[in-house]
Amino acid sequence: MSQYILLRHREIPNLDQLDVYLKHGGFEALKKVVTQMQPADVVNEVKASGLRGRGGAGFPTGVKWSFLPNNIWPHYVVCNADESEPGTFKDREILESNPFQLLEGLMIASYAVQANVAYIYLRGEFWQIAHQLDEKIAELEKAGLLGDNLFGTAYSLRIYTHLGAGAYICGEETALLESLEGKLGQPRLRPPFPAVYGLYGKPTVVNNVETLANLPPILENGAQWYRRFGTEKSPGMKIFCLSGNVNRPGNYELPLGTTFRELIYTHGGGIPEGRKVKAILPAGASSAIIAVNDDTILDTPMDYESVAAIGSQLGSASVIVADETVNMAWLVARTVNFFKHESCGKCTPCREGTFWMNRIAQRMMAGKATESDVDLLETVANQIAGKCLCALGEFSVMAVQTGIGQFRVDFLNQVKQTAPATQGD
Amino acid sequence: MANEVTLTIDGKTVRVPQGTLIVDAAKKIGIDVPVFCYHPKMEPVGMCRMCLVEVGRPVMDRATNQPVLEADGTPRIAFGAKLETACTTPVSEGMVVITQNQKVASARREVLEFLLTSHPLDCPICDKGGECPLQNLTMGYGPAESRFLFEEKMHLAKHVPLGELIYLDRERCIQCARCVRFQKDLVDDPVIGFYQRGRSLEIVTYSEPGFDSYFSGNTTDICPVGALTTADFRFGARPWELKPVASICTHCPVGCNLTFNVRREAASGGKLVIKRAMPRQNELVNEIWICDKGRFAYHFVESPQRLTQPLVRKNGELVPASWEEALEAAAQGLKQAGENLVVLAGGRLSNEDLFNLRKLADAQRGKAILYTHMGGGDLTQQVGLTPGSNLGSLGKGDAVLVIAADLHEEAPIWWMRLKAAAERGAVLVVAGARPTRLERYAAKVMRYRYGEELNIIQSLMDGAVPELSQAENLVVFYGAEGLDLLGTNALAQACATLLYRSGHYGRPNNGLVGVWKEGNAQGAWDMGFHTVGNYTRTLSEAAAVLIAAADPAGDDPLLAQALDRAGFVVVQELFLTETARRADVVFPAQSFAEREGTFTSGERRVQRFYPVIYPVPDCRADFVITAQVARKLGHALEMASPAKVFLQIASEISHYQGLTYPRLAEVEEQWPPVGRSDLYYGGTAYDNRQGMGVALPALCQQQGWQLPMFWNDRLPERTFELAAMNQQGMVWLVPFNRLYDRGTTVKPSQLLEKRMVSAHIALHPETARAVGLSGVEKVQVEGLDGPLPLVLDETLPQGVAFYPRSAGVPALAPRGVKLHAVKAEVQEG
Amino acid sequence: MFKGLLTTLKEWAGKPVTIQYPEEKRPVRTRFKGRHVLKRYENGLEKCIGCSLCAAACPADAIFVEAAENTDEERYSPGERYARVYEINMLRCIFCGFCEDACPTEAIVLGDNYELSFTDRHQSIYTKEMLLEPVPEGGKPTPQQTPPGVYVRAVPAMQDPQD
Repeated sequence: MSQYILLRHREIPNLDQLDVYLKHGGFEALKKVVTQMQPADVVNEVKASGLRGRGGAGFPTGVKWSFLPNNIWPHYVVCNADESEPGTFKDREILESNPFQLLEGLMIASYAVQANVAYIYLRGEFWQIAHQLDEKIAELEKAGLLGDNLFGTAYSLRIYTHLGAGAYICGEETALLESLEGKLGQPRLRPPFPAVYGLYGKPTVVNNVETLANLPPILENGAQWYRRFGTEKSPGMKIFCLSGNVNRPGNYELPLGTTFRELIYTHGGGIPEGRKVKAILPAGASSAIIAVNDDTILDTPMDYESVAAIGSQLGSASVIVADETVNMAWLVARTVNFFKHESCGKCTPCREGTFWMNRIAQRMMAGKATESDVDLLETVANQIAGKCLCALGEFSVMAVQTGIGQFRVDFLNQVKQTAPATQGD
Repeated sequence: MANEVTLTIDGKTVRVPQGTLIVDAAKKIGIDVPVFCYHPKMEPVGMCRMCLVEVGRPVMDRATNQPVLEADGTPRIAFGAKLETACTTPVSEGMVVITQNQKVASARREVLEFLLTSHPLDCPICDKGGECPLQNLTMGYGPAESRFLFEEKMHLAKHVPLGELIYLDRERCIQCARCVRFQKDLVDDPVIGFYQRGRSLEIVTYSEPGFDSYFSGNTTDICPVGALTTADFRFGARPWELKPVASICTHCPVGCNLTFNVRREAASGGKLVIKRAMPRQNELVNEIWICDKGRFAYHFVESPQRLTQPLVRKNGELVPASWEEALEAAAQGLKQAGENLVVLAGGRLSNEDLFNLRKLADAQRGKAILYTHMGGGDLTQQVGLTPGSNLGSLGKGDAVLVIAADLHEEAPIWWMRLKAAAERGAVLVVAGARPTRLERYAAKVMRYRYGEELNIIQSLMDGAVPELSQAENLVVFYGAEGLDLLGTNALAQACATLLYRSGHYGRPNNGLVGVWKEGNAQGAWDMGFHTVGNYTRTLSEAAAVLIAAADPAGDDPLLAQALDRAGFVVVQELFLTETARRADVVFPAQSFAEREGTFTSGERRVQRFYPVIYPVPDCRADFVITAQVARKLGHALEMASPAKVFLQIASEISHYQGLTYPRLAEVEEQWPPVGRSDLYYGGTAYDNRQGMGVALPALCQQQGWQLPMFWNDRLPERTFELAAMNQQGMVWLVPFNRLYDRGTTVKPSQLLEKRMVSAHIALHPETARAVGLSGVEKVQVEGLDGPLPLVLDETLPQGVAFYPRSAGVPALAPRGVKLHAVKAEVQEG
Repeated sequence: MFKGLLTTLKEWAGKPVTIQYPEEKRPVRTRFKGRHVLKRYENGLEKCIGCSLCAAACPADAIFVEAAENTDEERYSPGERYARVYEINMLRCIFCGFCEDACPTEAIVLGDNYELSFTDRHQSIYTKEMLLEPVPEGGKPTPQQTPPGVYVRAVPAMQDPQD
């Protein structure tokens, strides 16, 4: 049996060609869904599978779909391909090498919520991928697999791609919708949630690329089959993006519940020169840093519950590994700089706070800070938390809070320097 | 009551309608929740995070759907883990809100600290200092010291002109988006917006000229910091040095309530100088807004061109004279004319002036004639708006008809309020010969050709738009575009008939409103002035003409000739106009800012204005001049004070009965609170302490009333035939109104110069071709001197030539004309 | 009685404490509050930015300020704003020094001169010309012509307060 349900192109060459994809069972799931199942059945099947959103929030996908009211029309489905979290590169691989599985998943999702128009919102830097996707969409339409009256039924669907313009904040679903509508990419107030008031004010489902790519296998093989992978509360396969100080960084499709140790050492080839792991950022820059003080932490299973239990979040599983040579102050300064650059500016704490934290962090790195600046950085981070309009602001402080909290020594050493810092000490 | 919710804020119980936001509910019981981005007249966005409060809700048992109770029987309250923004959270039953505890106080202090990190230390020179919400809230809730390093502050562009009227200081901006939201949501002029993101988020303008909106000045009132300031007031004075005086704008019939700020200055030699015009809150008239014309076009009052001495014609020349001499000369001239006296007054004057002028005409058995191109004021008295009317309360079930008027140019605040009414669900029907800006919000747009206005009214009476004729309430606004005096009379009559037949009269929010050109035209009609069929003949046949606040000679060469043929001409004016130049006696009059009086708005509300600056020496008020002339003729007219004249008005004019100056000065609590201690909430508009005015009853409310002028059968389909006129090679010459024209009271405001419309003729390209003017740059209008530039515009109707009113094209009313091409001058050598 | 006369004689012979004003003038103390002076920077630009805080702080309402805008062609102070009219009514002034405390740029200071007199109430209104200190050595008189792009801040930065 194949070890991949998502990154199948690693076993099947040229899976990005329509004829190859069809030859390997492509669009069988969609045909089954459209011709034999009611939309509500599809929703129930996905609910039963326990599939959780792979974009970072981990919200049960089927439950999200069931929130759409049936008395407001039209419904929309938007695929969130604005993959901008540092350390995340899984959606890209799917979009580039297994695009038809994503498209089929998007079509299944659209059928499930009875949407006749779906959008794929890609980050601006993916313009080449967007061109390729446009070609694939045209191919599908020509083959009669997309457009009016799919498989002889009354169901019609059109898919459009839309490019962003280089903003991480547009990965946040309401900011994405604003950008899609042609407005400034700033998040909206929630409630109301997109499921009730989304694109152009209509009920909308926003799903991550990886989430959608899971749908064809689930609908083809059934919810129970899907539950054989992963854990009880976090079923299924997940693409883990491994990066940082590892010998073999890259995407690894593994069942949820795989431990950090297995990912880093068995698949990732371990740390160069056999160095020790100092810290792990399991959700890219938006993580609470896991300090690997005790080797047994590496045995934590990577699923949503277990990572939360050790005080962090799994998020989108962009696992960044920092070894003992990394100056955590430098790392935190990098994340702070990222968030300052990406803050949309709508709410005061994030806009001003990330700018302030960045100034302090830059001074630290330039060797012009003092010990009280470390306290100040922590205080400012605490001041931002709990006040922001959207998750970007809240997550921007996690690395700072956990970084200073667990690696204060690195920061204190940094401020003793008077020369600019580099990655290593 | 069914739709009310009870909640507790800081221990106080309050009942408010469902859907009320926490911040408003708190304000209603006197608890201040500080806000920056929230404004009570706009939708909340929850951006600034200043209004964070602790919110607790009763815990509901999921199984029984009943509140869980504590041991003592009170509901268990679950407080959120995070603070919530009071401006975006609607109240719910049993909610508990805490605005005064350590967590909330820290949150406020921290948000202010964030805002101040990059806010520049501009307070000493910032125009907002002294009336600045950021200053006030920092004093109340903010940190005393900053932990941010001064050198690390973000530096952005300062003193950026967004157009020549408004300056932006990007460093001061706290990105609250009030200006952007005001422009986009309230006045549909999205000419400013955000650019960049994060800390670099800044305001830019997209229009050319910059910030091209008639309401741009209002953003400086609601901006919580000194980021948006007016060029007019820049560095004028500090707010605490200014004295506020209530007044009324005279530029259009809306009658917006103003507050002028004055100061005694050294530069003026110790005289009081008007530093700026600000809105005064009157929710029934202009809410808290004024248009830019009212805000920036007050400089005529202090213009150095003002007449300061009486002038008398001696040996063919106008020479300065003493008051006694001038009054004597005027009285002599009028006495000789006897009954053949025409008193011609313009609608810029106050009720008191107009009353005395009409009394003089009556006393001499002469005629009191209103100088206007628009009739129908007698009908608006009959079926006008009645007390209790409020455009701000129009909504679902109500209807509004606007015909032959471009409200965006002629009365911007009415445009704004009708747009809001349409957005609340009122059925808006706009009838016009050319597209106007109000049509965007109209449920139905009715297009007609000039001359077919009455056809539209007939079709409405025939039920063409049932939502209009069957609406609960109907207000009809009629204008004068493309119509002369007879035409507007006919249109007013038709509209009155429409209202009468459908029963939309005599109760609040029903009636006829005239979109006059002048601020107090309605008052002129009320004071007893009327129009005549032929102004030229009436003037030329008069043995004596007394003209006040009107410039017929400057408006039309035919009227100038008529005036020359008239006998003795006496003029009461502010400036030496064309008419004044032809006069035998000229009296220098005071402007409205130098005295008190009353104006009657187009909605028929009588409002007081107060003296703002000392009278310009040696001017006298119009009613005083008239009374002094009358005295010399042996008539005793009231001249002791405007208040006493008003008492006469109240006793002699039926619908003004019972009104007195004290009654006009009464005020009441208004929502939202603005100004002074509430300026962080509603903005720096002034609160109204000097009078909200009184709405007049309509004559139709009297016992046994019948509509005097009534079309019993069908309305004529056309008042004239445009096609026939075109076939004769003529076009219908139509004046259109632009807000910024070059009229006597607007021109002295040089700040607006770049936006003032210039004289030109505008044609549809097809029309230009049809009359042989393709490719021509200048045209000559038959009967008028001087070539005018030709502008082609595809949005205009065909067969018509347009020109802007009060821009130097001397033609008062529409008429058929021929246009000729003017050859380009051959350049010499 | 003799003792008393002895005291008188001792004093008579001793050094007199009388200061022969106006030939001799006693130097004033450091914080003496005398006649106001509007200070300049070393380059000659005025420190006063026309903010009226002194007028607002004055308990006797003695100060009158009218502000105007600087341009690079006609520059009076290094910021955006300067005082076009600056008058102090010396008869109202109580020499409390609140104006000096309030000033954000240390422009108005109370100097050492106490020899003020006037014969007419009008003469007691001291204008800006009378209050401005003379141009320091190496500086230029105001208004000055300055190159564009140099004085771009709204309010010049304040020096450390000195007594």
